[in-house]
Amino acid sequence: MRGALKSGNVFCKNRIGVTGLGILSVFILTAIFAPFLAPYDPCEMFEPMAPPDSQHVLGTNDIGQDIWSELIYASRISLFIAFTTSIIATFIGTLSGLFSGYYERFGFFVMRVVDLFLALPRLPLIIILAVFMPTSIWNLIIIFVLFGWPITTRIIRSEVLTLRTRPYIDSERMMGAGDLYILGRHILPNIFPLVVVQFVMEARHVILAEAGLSFLGLGDPTSKSWGMMLHYAFEYPTIFISEVWKWWMLPPGLCIVVVILALVFVGFALEEILNPRLRREIV
Amino acid sequence: MHHLTKITAYILIIFVAISINFALPRMMPGDPITSLTDDPTTGMPVIMDEDIKEEIRSYYGLDKPISEQYTDYLKDILKCDLGWSIYYNAPVAEVIFERLKWTLLLVGTSTLIYMILGIFLGAVSAWKRGERGDLGLLVSVLSIGSFPSFFLAMLFIILFGVKLDIFPIFGATTPFMEYSSTFDAFKDVLYHLILPASTLVLTSIDGPYLLMRNSMLGVLGEDYIVTARAKGLTEWAILKDHAIKNALLPITTVIAIRMGFMISGAIFVETVFAYPGIGKLLYDAVSFSDYPLLQGAFLIITLIIIAANFIADMTYLYLDPRVKHG
Repeated sequence: MRGALKSGNVFCKNRIGVTGLGILSVFILTAIFAPFLAPYDPCEMFEPMAPPDSQHVLGTNDIGQDIWSELIYASRISLFIAFTTSIIATFIGTLSGLFSGYYERFGFFVMRVVDLFLALPRLPLIIILAVFMPTSIWNLIIIFVLFGWPITTRIIRSEVLTLRTRPYIDSERMMGAGDLYILGRHILPNIFPLVVVQFVMEARHVILAEAGLSFLGLGDPTSKSWGMMLHYAFEYPTIFISEVWKWWMLPPGLCIVVVILALVFVGFALEEILNPRLRREIV
Repeated sequence: MHHLTKITAYILIIFVAISINFALPRMMPGDPITSLTDDPTTGMPVIMDEDIKEEIRSYYGLDKPISEQYTDYLKDILKCDLGWSIYYNAPVAEVIFERLKWTLLLVGTSTLIYMILGIFLGAVSAWKRGERGDLGLLVSVLSIGSFPSFFLAMLFIILFGVKLDIFPIFGATTPFMEYSSTFDAFKDVLYHLILPASTLVLTSIDGPYLLMRNSMLGVLGEDYIVTARAKGLTEWAILKDHAIKNALLPITTVIAIRMGFMISGAIFVETVFAYPGIGKLLYDAVSFSDYPLLQGAFLIITLIIIAANFIADMTYLYLDPRVKHG
């Protein structure tokens, strides 16, 4: 507990980390309160391709939907997919990492599966799976989880492998502590900071991957994310030569960039806390 | 011994990739005949004779047992026969190999540039650690690395292609251009390469930069650096002879592994710039539902990435003898 408090203190002193966390909170609150923040229903149709005015802050798209409302609702889809995937993938990765680090034979088999997953190219496989599976948010999440857990497993396992041989674990065992007790009570708290870092990294990866898939037109068309807004903007014939890109293409793109940057900042700060060698006096 | 296990592992991975490619369409609900006979615009089934259906099935070999279909599929791949592209109405293998050179050109140039630049900037950053220069570099690299490649590509088109009008915004060469000399052709290709390659370089530079920075920070804390300083070596000599060389080792293996990442990034960059590489081909195959082409492109991309990983593994064995005995 004291360790956690100390880490929290170091985190608050880290300007980069606090900035990232602040930005993330704004986006999460926007996603939660989207129905109160959006002026219109994102599916409601007005005059198409209207430039921004007092009625429509960011104008309307090619089928007349209010872009500002669309943008606010899209934050729900993008963040929901990213965080749900990260929670599930990190959970599976942590559990399998714990057990495969602690039980050697079990670990051997799990690691062969992990090796295979890590050797296969992630993005092309995700694309081809998305093509052949019926598109829905949950199918996307399943695909992302499928390729998200192995890296966490590997990282957690290697940490468990070194923790397992520590003298205090040996003495626990001598005193008759059960495996589950040692894993839950002594190993899990020690790897927990690493789990948080993995969660952040995975969320960043999924935001990018989901935006990419949706940009290629492989997302769920019934629930528009930022990536899918960019897809429709890119498909619009005069997007590059007229001025519409300023209110149609720029906002969703910048949202993706800012969320990823916030996650990178948080992850970077967490890594510096975990690895005191990297900790700097300034910043 | 170590080599042998590695090679076996890679052959296994190639088999898995091929098997996924074989299994996926067959695992999906529905019958290829239904998707052939359903009118995509109305969703109404076209009435088709059972005999004709049977004929189509046997033409594509779908009436054979699954094991026989699999061996046929493997044989076809060995013969470089990847099927027939519906959209291009040409053999898939031919369509892909024609496009491959552009992807290799784009990915190759970008990899070379971003690695050198990333390693250099990472070393500078670590050297100036905690100073203003380091912080500035760090934040800029992390920020530019947060741009999805397709978004940065679109911004580049608007800024450099339309507003400033200094670079072409699509293709790899000027259409219908007659070159007066090889140099002219080279210039035209280079001119078209600059924007896509810059996009790839900028969106992937954070990888080698952060890695080199961390690696250097680790090395700079070592005792032999203190010794070097105590000997009275200049800062530059310490950096050149002691720090950079040791910090580079963990980076080498990443170079080839990141090739896979670069080819994935190329899918987006090529799509936005309409650059005629294999990534654009994959996008076209998705939008035209050209499944044979899609599967062929997937297979080739996968094989390239696996090959890159293999080369990385072997290079690392050669560079760091500790791995061999470990």
